[in-house]
Amino acid sequence: MMLDFERIWPSVPYILGGIPVTLSYTIVSVCLGFIWGALLAFCKVGHIPPLRWFADFYTSIFRGTPLLLQLILIYHASPQVIGYKFSFWEAGILTFTLNSGAYLSEHIRGGINSVDKGQMEAALSLGISYPLIMKDIILPQAIRTILPSLVNESIDLLKESALISVIGGADILWRANEVAAEKYAYFEPLIVAGLLYYILVMILTTGARLLEKKLKTS
Amino acid sequence: MILLEDIHKSFGTHEVLKGISGGIVQGEVLAIIGPSGSGKSTLLRSINLLETPTSGKVFVDGVCITEGRVDIEKVRTKVGMVFQQFNLFPHMTTLENVIYAPIKVKKMSRKEAETLGKNLLNKVGLGEKLHTYPPHLSGGQKQRAAIARALAMEPEAILFDEPTSALDPEMVKEVLTVIKDLAHTGITMVIVTHEMGFAREVADRVWFLDEGLLVEDSTAKSFFEAPSTSRAQGFLEKVL
Repeated sequence: MMLDFERIWPSVPYILGGIPVTLSYTIVSVCLGFIWGALLAFCKVGHIPPLRWFADFYTSIFRGTPLLLQLILIYHASPQVIGYKFSFWEAGILTFTLNSGAYLSEHIRGGINSVDKGQMEAALSLGISYPLIMKDIILPQAIRTILPSLVNESIDLLKESALISVIGGADILWRANEVAAEKYAYFEPLIVAGLLYYILVMILTTGARLLEKKLKTS
Repeated sequence: MILLEDIHKSFGTHEVLKGISGGIVQGEVLAIIGPSGSGKSTLLRSINLLETPTSGKVFVDGVCITEGRVDIEKVRTKVGMVFQQFNLFPHMTTLENVIYAPIKVKKMSRKEAETLGKNLLNKVGLGEKLHTYPPHLSGGQKQRAAIARALAMEPEAILFDEPTSALDPEMVKEVLTVIKDLAHTGITMVIVTHEMGFAREVADRVWFLDEGLLVEDSTAKSFFEAPSTSRAQGFLEKVL
């Protein structure tokens, strides 16, 4: 087996250029996904049956079908349905947001349920409205339980964001593939890509561990 | 100011309240007492609809709150509540706990609310603890802060759900003193309690509940001196 990293050395900065792309998909989608997931979770723990059914059904759909299918569907099928063609970026962010919202809503629901029932009752007894109770009383207390799963979701999404290369988003994997095609060498650029993903995930994991430790002590 | 009409409440097949009717007039201090499981807390929680009665009507200030479209949030600003487990918001300081609802619900200005909050916390003896977080307060301090929080909404009535049951014995007195002082301010109070001495001292009237029924409704004086039903007599013999 012939491995020659020197040959692709000049292309490494090009692959590195995929890091901000990959990270932007991940960060924007997790943030938007968190907001969307929180709204879904409020529907799930709320007392309006149609909203609860919708949120449960929504979650089961997005958890029960492949992410790649969702991505391709949104990217390729949207012009046919809504007459608008999403860019890679829009389609990627939209899909990842909708998808992580489904997963995060379950974690957020768990976090909300972990908050003592008396908190809700005390807030209700003061005449505070349901949305305000959720935002200012329940969620700040639930976040402790939610945060670790938010980090895990970020890690998952960081890796799954590689799917964007399928529709042409110029992330780490897509760039590595480009280099591979250009140099007729697959192993080296893909190893570089794999390494980059691994390092990014390790950084996130370490950060998560520190955060958890800090949460435990405070 | 509060009127209950044939309140029934069931949890599953278990009927906790079996038809309770009665009225509480403005400025009255009512103690609800009775054995555990008699439905005292459930009845109290029906007044601000933390429990929705299975059937029956609740009137607050002449308005039926169990039927049709009622702005329950508005009703709840008129009827405060103090819980057995305090239920302070642990992520807010004592002062923030007190002023949150006046600012967000009553749209009071922050400055005005802070003045009010400091005033109330001073009154319950927590002037030194304005910026302390609840986990660093003792049980008695927590309950006094919770009372200040309920008062900050300037309610017409306050419901006390066993306010001293979760306290260590040495802290019961400080909380009861605060409640007693309130009784003289003319605010309507409904208190579920196991503290018979306190009920006797502070209450104008007593409801004795047993097995989901209002067995006896009389003035505190006559209830404690000469209970008219044998069930109340038996209960008092056991607890006094």
